[in-house]
Amino acid sequence: MLVFKYVIGVVMKKIIFTIFLSLLVLSSCSKKEDKELKISTNPWIGYAPLFYAKEMGYLNKLNISLIHNISLSESTKLYSMGKVDMIAATQHEYFSLLKIGEDIVPISLLDRSDGGDIVLSNRSLNELKSADKIFAYLEIDSINIDIIKDFIKHHKLDMNKIEFINADQVQIADLQINKNKNMLLVTYVPYNYTLEKSGFIQLASTKNLNSIVVVDGILINKKVLQDNKEKLLKFKQIIDKSITEITKNKQASYKLVKKYLDNMPYNEYIESFELIKWENIPSKEILDKLKDINYESKYLLK
Amino acid sequence: MIKKLSIKSFTIISMFLVFISSGYLFYQSFLDTKNNTRILLEENIQFNILNTKYYLEKNLNIKNPNRIKPYLNNIVYTNDIIKAMTILDTKNNIIYQTTLSDDFKHDHTNCISISHIIDSNIFKQNCYTFSIKLFNKLEPYYYHGIIELDSNYLNIFVKNKIIKYFSFFLIYIITIMITLWFIINKVIIHPLEKLRQYAYYSTKIPRPFFINEIEGIRYSLEFTFKRLKKEQDELFHLSTRDPLSGLYNRLSLIERINWLISKGKRSKNNFAVLFLDLDNFKNINDSYGHNFGDIVLQHISEVLLNVVRDNDIVARLGGDEFVVVLTDVKNDKEILSVLKRIKIELSLPVTYEQYTYNASCSIGISLYPKDGITVTDLLKNSDIAMYKAKDLGKNNFQFFEETLQLEIQERMKIQTLMIDGLENHYFELYYQPKVDIKTNKIVACEALIRLIDPKTGIIPPDKFITIAEENNFIIPLGDWIIKQATNQLRIWNNTQFKDIKLSINISIVQLNNNAELFETIKHNIKGIDISKLDIELTESVLIKDFDEKLKIIHKLKELGLSISLDDFGTGYSSLSYLKTIPFDTIKIDKSFIDDFENNQDRSFINMIVAIANELNIEVIAEGVENKKQLKFLKDIQCQQYQGYLCSKPLPINKFEKLFLNQL
Repeated sequence: MLVFKYVIGVVMKKIIFTIFLSLLVLSSCSKKEDKELKISTNPWIGYAPLFYAKEMGYLNKLNISLIHNISLSESTKLYSMGKVDMIAATQHEYFSLLKIGEDIVPISLLDRSDGGDIVLSNRSLNELKSADKIFAYLEIDSINIDIIKDFIKHHKLDMNKIEFINADQVQIADLQINKNKNMLLVTYVPYNYTLEKSGFIQLASTKNLNSIVVVDGILINKKVLQDNKEKLLKFKQIIDKSITEITKNKQASYKLVKKYLDNMPYNEYIESFELIKWENIPSKEILDKLKDINYESKYLLK
Repeated sequence: MIKKLSIKSFTIISMFLVFISSGYLFYQSFLDTKNNTRILLEENIQFNILNTKYYLEKNLNIKNPNRIKPYLNNIVYTNDIIKAMTILDTKNNIIYQTTLSDDFKHDHTNCISISHIIDSNIFKQNCYTFSIKLFNKLEPYYYHGIIELDSNYLNIFVKNKIIKYFSFFLIYIITIMITLWFIINKVIIHPLEKLRQYAYYSTKIPRPFFINEIEGIRYSLEFTFKRLKKEQDELFHLSTRDPLSGLYNRLSLIERINWLISKGKRSKNNFAVLFLDLDNFKNINDSYGHNFGDIVLQHISEVLLNVVRDNDIVARLGGDEFVVVLTDVKNDKEILSVLKRIKIELSLPVTYEQYTYNASCSIGISLYPKDGITVTDLLKNSDIAMYKAKDLGKNNFQFFEETLQLEIQERMKIQTLMIDGLENHYFELYYQPKVDIKTNKIVACEALIRLIDPKTGIIPPDKFITIAEENNFIIPLGDWIIKQATNQLRIWNNTQFKDIKLSINISIVQLNNNAELFETIKHNIKGIDISKLDIELTESVLIKDFDEKLKIIHKLKELGLSISLDDFGTGYSSLSYLKTIPFDTIKIDKSFIDDFENNQDRSFINMIVAIANELNIEVIAEGVENKKQLKFLKDIQCQQYQGYLCSKPLPINKFEKLFLNQL
């Protein structure tokens, strides 16, 4: 009987131990997982490294997801709604978000537009100068506004003759030449190719608009930066790695990223790289220019 | 030391742990649901604000704000969690507010930007702000929107969730606990309790159990108990039965007789105890071996079982001793009937291989309650009666009588006295003169052993010699006699008594142990005149193993001793003895002398003396008590006599005095 009781006692102890172990395992299961970070992008050749990293699975490994919008304006809206943690945007979006109180900082530069932002028209520059009325199509809440301002100022056009029409790039890309209208379009790669095929002619671009610098970077909330410093450092390394790989093998990268760029032809894809300069490792020149426009550079990751 | 914990306590602890773990899981599940709900609500708000912002940035016209009203109203009215929306201009003036309630007070100082919605607690945050970017040509300016959440709705929503989860948890945990308790009780506690009872009482075997381990214990217990029962039965059988015969053993017999005594006290029933002892069984073992002895014992067992009734008891006490208890005996006839059957059945020969044996037994009978009211008395008395039956000639039976008891007591007393006698000098040699008939002078004497009880005086030899022979005490006693007698001769040497010849009697038991006897005599005769020592043997000692006896007689003769034939004429009186054995003296038995006046006896005495004279053997007449007898003996030329006419046996000092007086 003593042996019988001993056996029962041992079995009970084991069961109690198992239950405690189960509770321990259960409690460990509830540990919070690594937070997913979302980055909002839109079709722009300068964001190709992000598309490439996504397709290569580099972003998945860091638990970073990519949301693809049609325009910077929509990306900005998503950010302001709190739907994304980061956006790939120009300095225009950066300043706009600062203005409405967002605590946002750039952590990495991607590229500088070197002809990638373009002013198109169905008229020549002189015809426009002499025109009574000009219909300017642009994405008002974007870098387009800075480009057209610079264009107007540079070519001394009469602001009062111009009617500004706010449209996103998809709408602009759909525009057809109206012979009765003096049309002025501000667009960027890859939307320009469609428009140029429709007969619009290029009047200016960031290549020859020397008074303005258009720079793209990764913008992020400062708190998110503090909470995910390690991950973002790796993210920066991925950006650098992706740029290197894209530069080395454009053809391979094209297959992966073309769907993010409205399936632009390969030759346009190649040409597009001529219209930007990679600034992931920023040059002194660009840093000086950014300083001039109060673009924060102290949070840029290295 | 193992800390004991009942299964019920264990179950309660387990259920408590299940309660805690389930509560924890439910709480986690609730938090998860709440979080998912939060995300859905946040996404709902984000979605509505995103659309509103997009709509307003495209359609808000300062000059005609009414365009936005239906849109904003639709959003608020179709969304339960949005209580109101307010649009403020650059100077925080209200452009439009969706609610017209007077008690609605807007305080947007506690509102946070919609971009921080993920970090906020939607269930506690009442409002969020969002910017509306408008352009005057190319110059941006900002309006603000405020979205008010219906905190009441959210609170009720959360409360409902809590109540729902808590209710579900309670139902779940109560169901689980009741089910768990029922199952544990049914498949563990109840079976273990049954096993405990089974292990404690080992009576009713539980039916097979559902749990494999418990069933394993039940099966092991059942197997063990069955084995123990079997071993117990075997041990009981071994403890109550005689292994050779299968009959009851002594222990069992005592138990059963005690039961009969108890029964007899109530019902006045009588019973008889028959104590059987096989006659000469030792000879069977010695002659035919123990195997045959065992066969005989088994045969006897079967015979006894066959002759008694089913309710009678047959037991073997050991060796060749059996006891039969005849229950409910009405009269002696019934006993005699059984005795007769036993005798008849036992008379049939037992045959084994080449051996055949005709068994007989002596039976002593004691009756309850007449001869004893205890087992001990009944067995003892039947044993006494059995010995009496043996004394009466074996193959016989004897009912116990009170006189037998006295005999036994006397016998026991003498036995005890004898054992102590050698050390305490209770034994003494008496000397009876042998007188030369011609000279009427004492020429010899016979040393006769006497046992003197310090309380009652002299005990005659016929009372203790037989007992001494039966228990072999005669050997040390005989040695003592030889030593005393030879010492006496040694003392007499070179004295006036130096010519006296001294006779000692040698028992059949001593003679059977001839080697030791020879050595004893040889050892003790040193330093004495050996011609003065005479050994008296009766005829009876010579009957068995004659050749062996003759050898020792010759050896004694070679030492120089003389040999007398005692009590001649009472036994076989074979003349061949006189021819074969070198006797020096014949002692005519007293019975002839007593009846010497009878012609026949006179003739016998004459004849004996004549033959002895012819054979040159000395003749001594025993038991001579008067002068007529002496005259007759003198007439027929008998050489010596012994008897009361001269003297009865005397202590040494008196004998010596008598001897000296006749000089």
